[in-house]
Amino acid sequence: MRRPRLVALCATAALALLALALLPAAASAIPLAPESPHSPNAEDLRTAYSAVAIVAVILGLAINAALIAAVVRFRARRGVGPARVRGGRQIQARVGMMMGAIALAVFVFGLIVTVEARDLEASGPQGLQASSAHTAQLGLDPPDADEEPLSVQVSGQQWLWRYEYPDGTFSYHELVVPVDTTVVLALDSTDVVHRWWVPALGGKFDAVPGRANETWFKADEEGVYEGQSAAFSGPAYPTMRARVEVLSVPDYEAWLEQQAADIQAAQTAVQAQVEEQNLETQVQETAGANPAVDDFESEPSAGASPGGE
Amino acid sequence: MTPPPTVAPARPEVVTEGLPRRRPAWIETATSADHKTVGLMYVATALSFLVLALVELVLMRLQLIVPESTLIDPIVFDELLSAYGATAVVLFGIPLGLGLMSYIVPLQIGARSVAFPRLGALSFWLYLAGGILLYASFLYHPPDAGVNPLSPLSDEIFSPNGGMDAWIGGVGLALMGFVLMAVNLVATLHNHRAPGMVWRRMPPFAWSALVSSYVLIFTSAVMLAALAMLLIDRNYNGVFFDADEGGSPILWQHLSWLFFSGAYVVMLLPGFGAISEILPVFSRKPAFAHRAISRSFVAIGVLGVLAWMQNMYSAPIPLGWTIVAMAIALALLVPVGLLFFNWIATLWGGALEMRAPLLFALGAISTTAIGLAGELTQSVIPVAWQIANTTAATTDTHYALIGGSVFGGFAALYYWFPKLTGRVMGEGLARISFWTLLAGVHLTFGPLFFAGLEGQPVDLYKYYEGSGLDGYNLVASLGSLVLAAGVITTLINAAYSANRGVRAGHDPWGGHTLEWFALSPPPPHNFDAIPDVRGTEPLREIREAVRQRTESWRAPAPLERPAAATAPAAATEEAPTASGATEAGAADPPDTGEAPPDGGGGSVA
Repeated sequence: MRRPRLVALCATAALALLALALLPAAASAIPLAPESPHSPNAEDLRTAYSAVAIVAVILGLAINAALIAAVVRFRARRGVGPARVRGGRQIQARVGMMMGAIALAVFVFGLIVTVEARDLEASGPQGLQASSAHTAQLGLDPPDADEEPLSVQVSGQQWLWRYEYPDGTFSYHELVVPVDTTVVLALDSTDVVHRWWVPALGGKFDAVPGRANETWFKADEEGVYEGQSAAFSGPAYPTMRARVEVLSVPDYEAWLEQQAADIQAAQTAVQAQVEEQNLETQVQETAGANPAVDDFESEPSAGASPGGE
Repeated sequence: MTPPPTVAPARPEVVTEGLPRRRPAWIETATSADHKTVGLMYVATALSFLVLALVELVLMRLQLIVPESTLIDPIVFDELLSAYGATAVVLFGIPLGLGLMSYIVPLQIGARSVAFPRLGALSFWLYLAGGILLYASFLYHPPDAGVNPLSPLSDEIFSPNGGMDAWIGGVGLALMGFVLMAVNLVATLHNHRAPGMVWRRMPPFAWSALVSSYVLIFTSAVMLAALAMLLIDRNYNGVFFDADEGGSPILWQHLSWLFFSGAYVVMLLPGFGAISEILPVFSRKPAFAHRAISRSFVAIGVLGVLAWMQNMYSAPIPLGWTIVAMAIALALLVPVGLLFFNWIATLWGGALEMRAPLLFALGAISTTAIGLAGELTQSVIPVAWQIANTTAATTDTHYALIGGSVFGGFAALYYWFPKLTGRVMGEGLARISFWTLLAGVHLTFGPLFFAGLEGQPVDLYKYYEGSGLDGYNLVASLGSLVLAAGVITTLINAAYSANRGVRAGHDPWGGHTLEWFALSPPPPHNFDAIPDVRGTEPLREIREAVRQRTESWRAPAPLERPAAATAPAAATEEAPTASGATEAGAADPPDTGEAPPDGGGGSVA
């Protein structure tokens, strides 16, 4: 019995030392909640997480503390037999009710936050206004009721995201949106199930082929937000990252124009090239080639081509 | 006077025609339909697959030890991932529980056999065939569509190789085996209980077996249907999951998550059952509330399965259904909370003997509590929108399932090993294994929780530099080696002790349930005499009865022989119990064979 106890003691001591060494480093670096939110719905999610995490930590700690206390206090000793522990009347019902009350409270809270997070918020004053940019400049209240949020069609495919803007312009890999503007994402997939997720801008939602799904966000600050597809989608899954660039409204509009012009230019260039080729070789291959050409020409905004392509 | 010529002179003769010849041991084992042999084969196979799962886990962790590592090919990583999921859940977690149930449950309820012995044997061979089929695919092309191959990805367009078919076949065969075993156990539990063992007196492990079996029958059948659909979709132009043809990929998610929810429950419940057996024995006081524990099992089984949609909060399904799922998932807090409360109340005030089974049971409670508290947060929709499918989510799942299946399974193994083999597992190795395993779990999954909060999704073969995830993954990868060492130590302990361990009597722990009434290991027919059950802890009552009789017994007049009164009945049972038992004298079960005056009739009330 001596040797194993010694080993266990040494192991515990080593672990304690390790923990002591790691603790200061860890305390400053370890996140206690998901990334800081930059959208109202992401804030809701963070609130939900923080509140429920406290309940969970209390429950988990309580059980472990009770366990340790029991082990320390009630070791078998010579001459001390087990005591008969009796609960009061209906102790089971009381504990059950307590647990039920906690569950109910968490449920109600979760329900409220769920509804809250799903609720579209109107665009802010600095955001893109549906009617026109003038209303905001004139200092008028934006028309709430008939205001249309910016709606972007998000289409997942192995292994990139394609974003189509209301005017038909599109981009790959990177979603560019104006700040303080409610953006509704209509999610769709052309192949397998993908999961759109940018932690700072809200939760994750599936892009399933043949089924429409929706989420929204309203970025409160300009900048670049990184995310990552969160549903396993095949060999190049880690390369399927999501990137949202939030610009000011004028920058956004300029970008949109530029992007449209780029696409137009690229398309005409390719068209010309293809026609030239056709004239030269007299080979009919336009039918199959066009969609693929479109994909290639979106690269200017996209950066590196995805791994699997 | 000549004798008739046809009659041969009389000579001694041994008639051997009617007896089968003894075949080599391995044939005897392989062809056996005895629930104990089947159970042993189940447990041994499940533990072998545990080793494979560990190898896969460690390889995946090694790939993730540094960012943008190129140690393992992405495709190979996906293959390891898919194999790991199937192995850990279908080839290790569920069958380990089933094997223990097959062995122990008939003994616990005082049955001489299971209801359908051959069905049990068939069940094992189907399971083994499934495992072999899945791993045979490593010879050509293993499956690579993930732990739960969501529908369009598992379709023949995106997974054209045969690996996916091997996955379907392997998982399908194993599940067929599980359904058969579950049917077998349900029939046994309903029909073969000892006289007097009414439902409320059934031991907690038998209760967990009953609930797990019903859950398996229900969810495995659903999954088998889903697998058949997927097979048809892939190979015969079916349209079940194809959105373009009028099918729905969401259908696969519903069916498969229903199964995985059931699998989750079935991986936890046997461990919970074993813990509920171990705590009263090693704290030397009866379970705080036997009935509350068995009711919790039922509630966990029902609610755990019904909450399958909590895995689909991000899927395009109506919000109302996800809210229903959240309500059911949160309702689980009541039975789970009661269970933990009762366990601690059982320990409280006891005289704890810190032997290996109790140690592992305590580890299981601690680990599972952390995991299930994490799952509680994730059953809240907005939290899951952020946390689901990150490494934080897998952390919760792994804490819960390693708690239930590895710690709980090992606790059960240490506890029942003397019954299985007649020998006790080494205490020293057990302690080393326990502390290593505990450290390994926390080192592996603790950091991954925080990595998940920082946004690391699960199933990635690489993460990028500068994402701030390096430290977590480094510690987790090293931790996985510690975890593996902890598991392997117990397996070595078991392998060594099976032949060389200290001999155990029929009841080395002073157990309260009927399996300790039988020999270690029990004879093929389990019991010579089946005792009458009159409480939730039959063996304790038997001991009590023996003690009272011994104490109240007064020596008759010196002329008479004192043993005459009990001798005839005792003779039949004295032989098996006394032969293997060192402390047979303590319990002396034979007396009880005749102890109850009303032979099983008065117990139904």
